[in-house]
Amino acid sequence: MKFSITGLNHRSAPVEVREGLAFDARSLGEALTDLLRRPGIAEGLILSTCNRVEVAVTSPDGEDPRAVVEEFLAARRGVDVGWLAPYLYHFEDAEAIRHLFRVAASLDSMVVGEPQILGQLKAAYAAAKAHGAVGGWMETILTRAFGVAKRVRTETGIGENPVSISSTAVDLARQIFGSLAERRVMVVGAGKMAELAVRHLRSAGVTRIYVTNRTLERARAMAEAFEGVVVEYDRFLDALQEMDIVLTSSGAPFYLLRKEQVRRVMEARRNRPVFLIDIAVPRNVDPAVNELDNVFLYDIDDLQRVADANMGERRKRAQLAERIVAEEVERMVARLKAREVTPTIVGLQQRFEQIRQAELARYRSRLGPLSPEQLDALEGLTRSILAKLAHGPITELRRQAGRPDGFEVVELIRRIFRLDE
Amino acid sequence: MHELSTLWLRAAAGFYSVGLVHALLLALRRTSRLFPIALGAFSVGIVLHAVSLVEQGVATGHFPANNFFQSASLCALLSALLYVFVWWRYRVRNLCMFIFPLVFVLTLIGALGSPVGRWADEGVRDAWLLVHVALVLAGYAALTVAAVASIAYLVRERQLKRKLALPFSADSPALMTLDELIGRGLALGFVMITLGVVAATTWAAVESGTRWIRDPRILISLGTWALYLLMIFLRATAGWRGRKAAVMVVALVGCSVLTWAAHTSLRHLLLP
Repeated sequence: MKFSITGLNHRSAPVEVREGLAFDARSLGEALTDLLRRPGIAEGLILSTCNRVEVAVTSPDGEDPRAVVEEFLAARRGVDVGWLAPYLYHFEDAEAIRHLFRVAASLDSMVVGEPQILGQLKAAYAAAKAHGAVGGWMETILTRAFGVAKRVRTETGIGENPVSISSTAVDLARQIFGSLAERRVMVVGAGKMAELAVRHLRSAGVTRIYVTNRTLERARAMAEAFEGVVVEYDRFLDALQEMDIVLTSSGAPFYLLRKEQVRRVMEARRNRPVFLIDIAVPRNVDPAVNELDNVFLYDIDDLQRVADANMGERRKRAQLAERIVAEEVERMVARLKAREVTPTIVGLQQRFEQIRQAELARYRSRLGPLSPEQLDALEGLTRSILAKLAHGPITELRRQAGRPDGFEVVELIRRIFRLDE
Repeated sequence: MHELSTLWLRAAAGFYSVGLVHALLLALRRTSRLFPIALGAFSVGIVLHAVSLVEQGVATGHFPANNFFQSASLCALLSALLYVFVWWRYRVRNLCMFIFPLVFVLTLIGALGSPVGRWADEGVRDAWLLVHVALVLAGYAALTVAAVASIAYLVRERQLKRKLALPFSADSPALMTLDELIGRGLALGFVMITLGVVAATTWAAVESGTRWIRDPRILISLGTWALYLLMIFLRATAGWRGRKAAVMVVALVGCSVLTWAAHTSLRHLLLP
């Protein structure tokens, strides 16, 4: 059985190609059915995310699934195979397993170590399973891919360091406050960047959101989107003493918060810590504010610096992850090869047993009446001879299972003992 | 000291002890419903205290600040009166956290200026000393937890202030958690050490009459306790938390180590 992956990702194809080829959840079932109908495809899985579209298939030995899958992708999107082919990559057997393991472990992602890809792969597997498109070989490989992803995360901690501005801000907030569920967040300025950061804070458990903006309508719209409360722009300084996290992204060309103002706020809140996230350019918060005790101020450059440092750390951990993947691929290949020779071993044992039974039947009448003890001894003798004869080929089959050219030996043994007749 | 005057002073210390209990509960739980009762008992204590000092003055024919015990007692009464005035004028409630324990301990010292009597039983003597040691050690244990949390806080706070990349991990507590731990450790340690100081003072008074107050070990212990009281008060009232609280705990641990050293075989290195 051959395992292969054909597809494209953020490195091989520009976004306009990727978006044209993407599968949505509704059409996935029908696409899987279409894929399985095509010649030489035994199992199939379609992974479609914003950064990659990949089709993994298993096919019987001797089949070439590459052309079939390319044809499938081109036909599904109504484009010419010749136009699509330069963007596609194709992996087979050990290389395909390695690619799948790297994808699952987020080593092939645009942001190495991001956690979403594993969830997306699991969803693709669930969809394929629901449509009867996986089972047997593919299932074995996918299940191991999930295990490899988990092992990589646990042993390397590759996903621990946040690498985007927003997730870095959330991570820092957690380092200051622990749980964010009871924290109050004030957003000053209702721009796109602020919206993204608030979305991250919301997903981290923040529920109390207060929004202020020069244009009241925009503040209202944002507050509505996040079930927050609008604070009048003229009164936001009064409200600050109640806030644990303040996110500023206003377009004001001057400092909205100065050291003396924040000092008064801190006195009013009895020095409970406050985290100021200033993602505005020009900055909204005087950098001197960071000198105050229990005030933690990060501007956009600070956040970027932390994110960059974390990315460097992730790259280091990715090297260790690659070693884990290589080791796992080797194990998986050996396991699949062993699985490949199992039918041959069983066939060989059955063949020998058939011969033994036939020969016993032939000579039984010539031997005359035999006592039960003599019959047992005869059975034991014949079984023992055959077991010793079969030991050599079976051991060789198992030894060859993990080797790249092992299938040649398997074929030879099948021919010698006429297992395919 | 005149006998009746001593009796009034000891009764006053008894009433002040309700205030001490209130302050300890406040340090431990940050809330106490005992304040009205404590304030009432404190007021009764002031009256008895004043009666004691007047009686003593009349009996001895001079102003009752003739020695350390009398001065401590007078200082306690003045502090108590000042607090009652501030409460009446400004309704500043949190000050009681500092004043109630201070007045109690000073009054206790004043009340122990007269011989208390002898141990009725050696077993009671030893058990009393054991209680003191156990309370102080429990206090040191709580203070050690607070100190470890303080060091972790200072390291982490420095990294955050300097904006060094530091990935969050479930194993490393957040700053607020560390601060909470510092507060809890400090409060529990304060309660234990205060009770330990009371136990030690009364034990020493019975053991060695009025000579105990001249023992440098006692003076060091009382000084450390006073510093502890000040820190608890600043944390509760002036919002000393985070970095300040962490530094303060480390300083307090330093003083506590000196106190401990003075009480052990190391004392010959410290005291003449």
